Amino acid sequence: MKKISRRRFVEGTSVGIVAVAAIPEIKAQEKPASTLPRVPRTAIRINVNGVDHRVDVEDRWTLVELLRDHLELTGTKIGCDRGECGACTVLVDGTPLYSCSQLAVWMNGRSIQTVEGLAKNGKLDPLQEAFIEHDAPQCGYCTSGQLMIAKALLMKNARPTRDEVRTAMTGNLCRCSNYNHYVEAVMAASGSTPSTGGGNAA
Amino acid sequence: MTPLKTVGHATHRIDALQRVTGGAKYTSDVHLPGMLYARVLRSPHPHARIRKIDLSKAMALPGVKAILTHENCDTTWSSGDQLGQRRLFNNPVRFAGDPVAAIAAVDRHVAEDATHLIEVDYEVLPFLTDLEEALKPGAVAIHEGGNLSLNNQRQPAPQTYKRGNVADGLKAADRVFEDNFTSAHHNNAQLEMRVSVAEWSGDKLTVHAATQGIANCRTDIARDLKISEDNVRVISEYMGGGFGNKNQCQDSDLMAAMLAKQAGAPVKLEFTRKEDFVAVHGRWSSRQSYKVGVKNDGTLTAIQMTALTGAGAYRKGSCDLSGTEIYQVPNLETSVSPVYTNTAVAANYRAPAYPQSVFGIESLMDDVAYALKMDPMEFRLKNMTRKFRDQTPYTSIGLEDCIRKGAEKFEWKKRWNPVPGSGAGPVKRGAGMAMGMFGSGLGRSSAVVRLDGQGQYYVHVGVTDVGTAAKTTMGLIAAEELGIPLEKVKVVWGDTDTCPYSVGESGSRTTVQTGMAVIEAVRDLKKQIAEKGAPKGNEILTAMATTNPPQLQGQSRNSFAAHFAEVEVNVETGHAIVTRFVSAHDSGRVVNPLTAQSQVQGGASQGIGMALHEELLYDKRSGLPLNAGYYGARIMTHLDAPLVDVVWVETDEPYGPFGAKTLGEPTIIPTVAAVANAIYNAIGRRVKSLPITRDKILGVLA
Repeated sequence: MKKISRRRFVEGTSVGIVAVAAIPEIKAQEKPASTLPRVPRTAIRINVNGVDHRVDVEDRWTLVELLRDHLELTGTKIGCDRGECGACTVLVDGTPLYSCSQLAVWMNGRSIQTVEGLAKNGKLDPLQEAFIEHDAPQCGYCTSGQLMIAKALLMKNARPTRDEVRTAMTGNLCRCSNYNHYVEAVMAASGSTPSTGGGNAA
Repeated sequence: MTPLKTVGHATHRIDALQRVTGGAKYTSDVHLPGMLYARVLRSPHPHARIRKIDLSKAMALPGVKAILTHENCDTTWSSGDQLGQRRLFNNPVRFAGDPVAAIAAVDRHVAEDATHLIEVDYEVLPFLTDLEEALKPGAVAIHEGGNLSLNNQRQPAPQTYKRGNVADGLKAADRVFEDNFTSAHHNNAQLEMRVSVAEWSGDKLTVHAATQGIANCRTDIARDLKISEDNVRVISEYMGGGFGNKNQCQDSDLMAAMLAKQAGAPVKLEFTRKEDFVAVHGRWSSRQSYKVGVKNDGTLTAIQMTALTGAGAYRKGSCDLSGTEIYQVPNLETSVSPVYTNTAVAANYRAPAYPQSVFGIESLMDDVAYALKMDPMEFRLKNMTRKFRDQTPYTSIGLEDCIRKGAEKFEWKKRWNPVPGSGAGPVKRGAGMAMGMFGSGLGRSSAVVRLDGQGQYYVHVGVTDVGTAAKTTMGLIAAEELGIPLEKVKVVWGDTDTCPYSVGESGSRTTVQTGMAVIEAVRDLKKQIAEKGAPKGNEILTAMATTNPPQLQGQSRNSFAAHFAEVEVNVETGHAIVTRFVSAHDSGRVVNPLTAQSQVQGGASQGIGMALHEELLYDKRSGLPLNAGYYGARIMTHLDAPLVDVVWVETDEPYGPFGAKTLGEPTIIPTVAAVANAIYNAIGRRVKSLPITRDKILGVLA
């Protein structure tokens, strides 16, 4: 996907992406310079991490494509692009979803939270603090997804048990397999028990 | 062992903040102006000759900028096959997934659309998926010279090792045991898929690669593209896991570079998850046959192993098996024959030659112990290695302590059933153990250390940090040697333009080898400071070191481990779960107990997946992979992972940085066998084939 910076958009390119407080009208679709086949596009309004965007999206774009390639939010990762690994987990109106398995056009009017939106006013979310403290990320590639699924869990269940944490997070793979430290970190962030790690009970 | 100020204390990763905020820039996050996207078209057939490729429709698709096939690109991918038999695009294609074309286009959708417009006329050839079938007379030859690959001396013979005389040893035995074990091909399955971004500026090529070794990657790219190494820059600042399948350079690096050259624009080439499963590589499968001779008092007299290993369609890895070295035995013969089939390529995955092989030998030794009515732990304490290959003393060995302290933590005596399978059921509990070892050789690496006039220290190391916390480890080692806090050290990594050569992050070598280079560079810097005084203002002091490690004549340097597993097996459903796990490790001094614990727990968890459910399956009739992906190959999840208790046995090791030995790979070596032995202890029947799935458990119980 050819990435267009906000600046270039404002200067008048054809792909419409803009982030402003007052939402401007979508620019009329200009004819692209090349003879690229015309791909159906739809204008959507989407709020990402508290910022409103009006975006002219190709109907075939997934949400994660929109976030990564067009809104420059690369913190959300793609691990499989087929709904198996959870690396792309984001919150859509507070619900954790695999953003590889959602089309961007479906997101019209929705609010998205990504890993970039976890820290508030320069202060890390307690989950982020606990992830650092307990060495939850090894390679770190699944970490954004693990953070978002944990965030969704703690919003619903502030004091989960270890097994509740493991169950909630089981759709989020970590091939470094640092599952013990992830569970330990979420338990610590929730403040529910001393950190004893994850795992099947003996 | 003398406590140290910085090394040996639990320390957060120096890049942890980037990893939890989305700020860490991985290769797939790189976006260059005017960048094209590339996709690969792959063979749908396990074995076929390409008669003709028609690109006309694909080239006519607006937005398509460049296409490579075997017709316009005959580049050899040298790290894709140790014998030089593999090009980027091969004809014939030798497995379902062998690349046929690579397309660069203005966006990834157009590139993908173009793959469907390429018309390939294939002459479908007979194919092989089975190791024994491949060696039968008359089997279709996948490579010239047949399907038995060359040994590591490039001779048409098995890889062998011999000491003593096995025939004599078996004659001297009171009892002889024979058995066969098999293991499956299973995938590294790291979360970050293969991705490369290549950009040319005149003659200078920059590749953003997802690599475990920027220096090796650069060397490989330069060799294969026949350009000067000075003209290649490799950048890998954050890397999303590899466990051995991102060693050296990847075909995607070369394809991206060549597409970028042809298109005159930067190119990002991304593999899909399915491609990562079938077209990169996984651990080689094996068929192992053993004979073991033993005295009635439990003393081993002979071990003989003959094995076939599954190389897949090319020879990317050693395809060796190394489990028998954990036993002291006067007579040992091993013979390993790597075999080609028309399946996914096999190569390095965390301790490549070990866990499948340790599964075989440790399963059999368990049976021997039970047959002799010995506690398997006592049997191992009696027969464990004491000298490397029974002759060379180890620089340090904590294997006995790993067994004893691990057993104590695990409560072996309480959890192990003297009568296997004696539980009431239907859920039966059992305990098993196994041991392992791994080489921890000294070797050459480099580092640069700087001190500026503001008192800031910089450590330049060519690491990418594959998840092991290598950046932090290098910082800790420098800080310790300098006698300053870690915060005063800035680590510079991940770019061949700013970092000296570092041994690749494979073979669990970085801590030991690049760590020693950091120490030597710091010593030089301290000497300079003593001679010239600390730099002021714009002054700067720079020290560099390329280590020339001592030859360990008459000594062997190894890490050791013992793992303990408790399982629950439902004998009605065949469902097995690991309920308790202890990993005891001698890796010398532990540089960072926090991140080292992550390594050990993660390695054990990967091993449990390998033991119980992970494998890549092929349909024998079509030669096609059946389950390429996370769900299908049943990769470990949060719910599969038990709590892993870690026991450190910190031996006083005279060599290496502050006495550190290798850690990353040993963490998976005994795991698989420990789980297998626990299942035997629970149900009283032995499953001899990995993974130990429910159907196999029910099968042995039937």
